Amino acid sequence: MTAPWRLVLLAAALIVLVPSVWHVAAALPPFGHPSAQYGPAINAILPAARHVTNMVAAVNFDVRGFDTLGEECMLVCAVTGAVVLLRGARGERDEARAGHVPGRAVLARSDATVLVCRITATLTLLFGVYMALHGTVTPGGGFQGGVVAASSFMLLYLGEGYRAWRRIIRGRAMDALEGGGAFLFAVAAAVPLVIGRPALTNVLPFGQLKDLFSGGLMVVVNFCIFLSVTGSFGLLLLEFMEETRSPAEDSVPDEADR
Amino acid sequence: MSIFPWLVPAWLFAIGIYGIVTSRHYVHLIGCLTVCQSATYVLLLSIGYAWGAGPPIFYDHPPSTPAVDPVMQALVLTDIVVGAAVTALLLVIAIQVHKRRGTLDPQRLRPLRPDQ
Amino acid sequence: MSALIVAALALAALTGLLIVLTRDPKRQIFALAANGLALGALFFVLQAPDVALSEIAVNTAVTPLLFVAAMAAVAINEMRR
Repeated sequence: MTAPWRLVLLAAALIVLVPSVWHVAAALPPFGHPSAQYGPAINAILPAARHVTNMVAAVNFDVRGFDTLGEECMLVCAVTGAVVLLRGARGERDEARAGHVPGRAVLARSDATVLVCRITATLTLLFGVYMALHGTVTPGGGFQGGVVAASSFMLLYLGEGYRAWRRIIRGRAMDALEGGGAFLFAVAAAVPLVIGRPALTNVLPFGQLKDLFSGGLMVVVNFCIFLSVTGSFGLLLLEFMEETRSPAEDSVPDEADR
Repeated sequence: MSIFPWLVPAWLFAIGIYGIVTSRHYVHLIGCLTVCQSATYVLLLSIGYAWGAGPPIFYDHPPSTPAVDPVMQALVLTDIVVGAAVTALLLVIAIQVHKRRGTLDPQRLRPLRPDQ
Repeated sequence: MSALIVAALALAALTGLLIVLTRDPKRQIFALAANGLALGALFFVLQAPDVALSEIAVNTAVTPLLFVAAMAAVAINEMRR
């Protein structure tokens, strides 16, 4: 379809949609006065019922834990699909040389960059783990902590160069983290079934309010998601970086790998 | 004035669709798709917001204080992370299209024929 | 308080528009990161610190990195042809 025809279709769609969207927007409850009862009920009941302070984590990992299991499966499927597509086209070998676009300068890495990246990568990883572990108490949780931890891998790449980075961040370890986290989540969901309770029933002791290990089964599920998200995004970054490598016979000068 | 928070998601979704329709580069198109996604985040969080309420985290203030809707936040939270993984999958497909066909312009791509 | 929410909403709408209007994908990556930051600020103002953390970690750090790597892969494929 040519560009003008697409715009005509878009205009036709907008003629139908704009009045209906305006109608719906005018009929919604006024901003700042929510009419839903589910959220306030959770806010009122759960701190006492589950001994946790972060209601978002409580909804994710306990009240609507089964939905999160579905989200986790979507995450694993999307990452698996991306990795299969990339590896299927490229093969599983690691390429030794950085790809290089002609006419672009290759700059050596300075010592200051290496030092700053080592420090910040360590701190970022620590912050990710901290955020994930305190998920049931303060803002944070497995999803955010996992992404922060995975982004520390990129700082490591910036500081250490490709070869050293590949020695530290193993593809197999990322595979194991991703699949293992999701598997442990499924096991944690199934354990209450064994003792005759519905799936994801919180059977563990709840612990103390505002304590690091409060929330019972939530702590386990939170940690499983942290492992899985770290593995997923680590694997995605690894495979995307692998895609920017050139075959070894390429004679372009490599970046200064340490 | 009170309708403005509902119009922002509609605006984000509309310009995202406009970008997808007029895009001449698949990577740009995926960027426009993330704008459409962000429209849903803004809408859900606006629906859950309550005037004068705090965050639904009762660490510093007691559990009886008013707080915004945690269910909306939980929905958005998981979707942001899963959405990023789906964006990565789309980028991978774009890379493969470029490898096979040598172009990322939707206008210049023709349907695959068996003889190609 | 209300002015802060209106400003954050307007900033999110504006940065979203910038993503669409930046036609060069390499420049669009910066617009994506800016939009992630604006959305993070908006979610923080809307009393959602959890979501703001997630949005900033994902849409200002990881997603732009994936876009950069994808553009690099496309450029290298282009060179090999």
